[in-house]
Amino acid sequence: MWVYIARRLLWLPFLLFVISAITFALFRIVPGDPVTVMLGARYDEDVAERLRKSLDLDKPLVVQYSNYMWGVVRPELHTLHLREDSGTTIKVPFFRLDFGESFRFRGRPVGPLMRTKMWVSFQVNMAGMLVALSIGLPLGFWVAHRQGSWTDPAAVAIAVILASLPIMVTAPAIIWLGCLKLDLVPCSGWGGLFDSRMIVVAIAMGGPGVAGFVRLMRASTLDVMGQDFIRTARSKGLGEFAIDSRHVLKNAMIPIVTILAFSLSGMLTTSFVAERIFGIPGIGSFAIDSLFNRDYPVMMAMTIILSTVFVLSILAADVAYAYVDPRIRYDGGGRG
Amino acid sequence: MRKLIPVVVALFAIAAVACGDDKTETPVPTAVPNEVAVAAEVSPTEAPQPSTSAPSGQQPQARAVPVSEKPQGGVFRRIWSDPPTLDPALVTDTTSAGVVVEIFSGLVALSPDLELIPDIAERWEVSPDGMTYTFFLRPEAQFHDGKPITAQDFKWSIERAASPDTGSPVADTYLNDIVGVQNVLDGRTTDISGIKVIDDHTLRIDIDAPKAYFLAKLTYPTAYVLDQENVESGGRLWTDTPNGSGPFRLKEYRVGERIVLERNENFYRTPPNVDSILMNLAGGQSMAMYENDEIDITGVGLFDLERVLDPNEKLNKELVVAPPDFSVSYIGFNTAMKPFDDPKFRQALNHAVDKELIATEVLSDLVVPAYGPLPPGFPGFNSSLPGLRYDPDLAKQLLNESEYPNLSDQDRRIVITVPGTGGTIGLDLEVIIEMWRQVLDVEVEIQQVEWATYLDDLNQSKFQAFAGLGWEADYPDPQDFLDILFHSKSSINHGAYANAEVDRVLELARVEPDISRRVELYREAEELIVADAAWVPLWYTGERYVLIKDHVQDYRVTPMIVPKLKQMYIR
Repeated sequence: MWVYIARRLLWLPFLLFVISAITFALFRIVPGDPVTVMLGARYDEDVAERLRKSLDLDKPLVVQYSNYMWGVVRPELHTLHLREDSGTTIKVPFFRLDFGESFRFRGRPVGPLMRTKMWVSFQVNMAGMLVALSIGLPLGFWVAHRQGSWTDPAAVAIAVILASLPIMVTAPAIIWLGCLKLDLVPCSGWGGLFDSRMIVVAIAMGGPGVAGFVRLMRASTLDVMGQDFIRTARSKGLGEFAIDSRHVLKNAMIPIVTILAFSLSGMLTTSFVAERIFGIPGIGSFAIDSLFNRDYPVMMAMTIILSTVFVLSILAADVAYAYVDPRIRYDGGGRG
Repeated sequence: MRKLIPVVVALFAIAAVACGDDKTETPVPTAVPNEVAVAAEVSPTEAPQPSTSAPSGQQPQARAVPVSEKPQGGVFRRIWSDPPTLDPALVTDTTSAGVVVEIFSGLVALSPDLELIPDIAERWEVSPDGMTYTFFLRPEAQFHDGKPITAQDFKWSIERAASPDTGSPVADTYLNDIVGVQNVLDGRTTDISGIKVIDDHTLRIDIDAPKAYFLAKLTYPTAYVLDQENVESGGRLWTDTPNGSGPFRLKEYRVGERIVLERNENFYRTPPNVDSILMNLAGGQSMAMYENDEIDITGVGLFDLERVLDPNEKLNKELVVAPPDFSVSYIGFNTAMKPFDDPKFRQALNHAVDKELIATEVLSDLVVPAYGPLPPGFPGFNSSLPGLRYDPDLAKQLLNESEYPNLSDQDRRIVITVPGTGGTIGLDLEVIIEMWRQVLDVEVEIQQVEWATYLDDLNQSKFQAFAGLGWEADYPDPQDFLDILFHSKSSINHGAYANAEVDRVLELARVEPDISRRVELYREAEELIVADAAWVPLWYTGERYVLIKDHVQDYRVTPMIVPKLKQMYIR
């Protein structure tokens, strides 16, 4: 297992190199550059040349790329404060993770600029995920037991309809109903994970997810319920509750866990639209504005961070799969 | 021979000329100063004494500590966005400027009435040839930490702003009239030969021609004074702990969350009345936050307008109708490309647009129709400018007289490019295209291009015609609109407009010392430009309807960014 993980991790640098090099080149092919946007309607060729020089944009692309990546991966001793108040610190060697300075917010390092916004986006996605899970899983489990009655197809049909509604439709609908008509919840804004303004966002974000989890959980539960070992359990006289809790639920969760681990990769990005609609200061609007402003360092940081998270969450999914299902092994034998 | 140009009086005169003709609701500058101390501040130049050419030494006038009679204290809360920079040398946008002008300051400033007033320089002298300015700094002026501000600080700050290492996008625009700045911009030297420190409180600046708009340019943050020690010790992020000189100090800046400004008691002019300014950067629905009493001021959008304009509505009492900003939006023509190379064709397009109708019916009077580049209230604004008004018959006639009376036969496409990424192109433009179709039978296509690409193509003059662009004043001088946008040699004359007569008049106006003659020259140039139909001027824009809470007093909605928060008070 550990060997497998190590081997997968060794691939990461190579993957990141390919991804970052390609995106770096792609950004430069697009017309316009940060200086164009900075000068706006006041563009003057001489001024532009001088600015490009002072921002190192006149250097060859390979040099620019190398400088940037060296800032990110250069090893450095990071100082960690063990406790906020005490002076106890330890030094940890790690990558430097210097994502350069933003062009749009002149001189401001990209890392701290993005950190708060990513944390906001992560919370938004987390809230949506919690809503989806806490409604979707029990409901899916329940309708699986109602197979054959009218509630099963009805629930599934509703689930499919809900899943097909994009957030551009559901979000305004929820705002209209919950906030403007019934005055139950605040309309929009951001106050953190435990703020009442989060309710509408979480429902809008989690809504389509509910449908997904209902269908997944139902299918998974039905699959397990049809297995031989369930019949065995029942024939040895186990009560329905014991069967459900000890055998069905546990096995039905296997695909769910995999999906959950996999969906970690989307924890920073899937809220782009919701952020725009609800006015949440997350990474979504920031990323889009950076793109329009040709803020290369921010765009590169986004690419590198998101692709790392993506690769790692796939790995996490695989590991979680092996952990939940003892039949799956990655080391030795059957699978390479 | 003029030993001392009474600049305040002069600029006030332009403003007065402009406002005198102005029939709109632009607030006429109040003759009575709001603050006790302002009168004292203005007097040295307002009543110009026949000054000697050699400054008669420093006479630190014993001056009572300026005290305002307004209620003190309180917090002013508003929505703002993360400023792209707080470095005065790098400021190009209003979001940054709105914060920077309150934290930092310079030799001269603009008052909320947009008069040029003495700031750190309490007075100045201009040489007879109009090319040497001698500034006398207030001896009591100090940075936030109490360090006195000297002429050397100014020299260093302006040299830093022009240095290629600083990478200022606007140093050319605002500083290049000063002798020797070009050499610093090009990296040949770090010393601006045209700026001389005479003594601690006397600074001499030589400019390359007697440009009447030079002082107005110095009001922009690029020429503000910085504390060298603060800048050099703070690294790239020195602006997080700026030691400025303005009426407010930066107490807290949390990216994406808030900016808190706190009153600078030791301000060398009247200190602010309010204790602090809270700028909420986290975003949200401004109108809802205003109604929820989370902020004290908000603009009113199209959707809330009807409700707010209703006199029975509680909010109506808090409504302020502001003059449009010093900005104009327009449709630009590439006069080097067919069919826009024919003035008659351009005139026909102008006469075919009913701007009054669009402003009222489509845009709910959120904008003011424009018939020339200069906005109302702006120095040199000409309210009697005839302009190319809506006249469908004249439009048809001009089209027939033009070289392109029947475009569809010649199989020519007219494409107007606008910036944007999908979505609407703007209601006004849609209506204008329909008007052209109905009145002139001219078909126009719209092409939408993403912002940075749009700018790139615009700079290379690739567009046949373009819209979605506005021009905003940097300093209140007609040169900033007419010369920069329409002189044939200007690098941002995107429409390649060229008229030898216009060039000649603009060049005369640059160095004309007589204020009223100068205004006349600019009016002459504007009339020529408008008659040539270089543009279709569209709207004077800006936040026209603003809600301000009752307890906020003396807050001025100004048509451009000026330091103004120190005037207001909380009741």
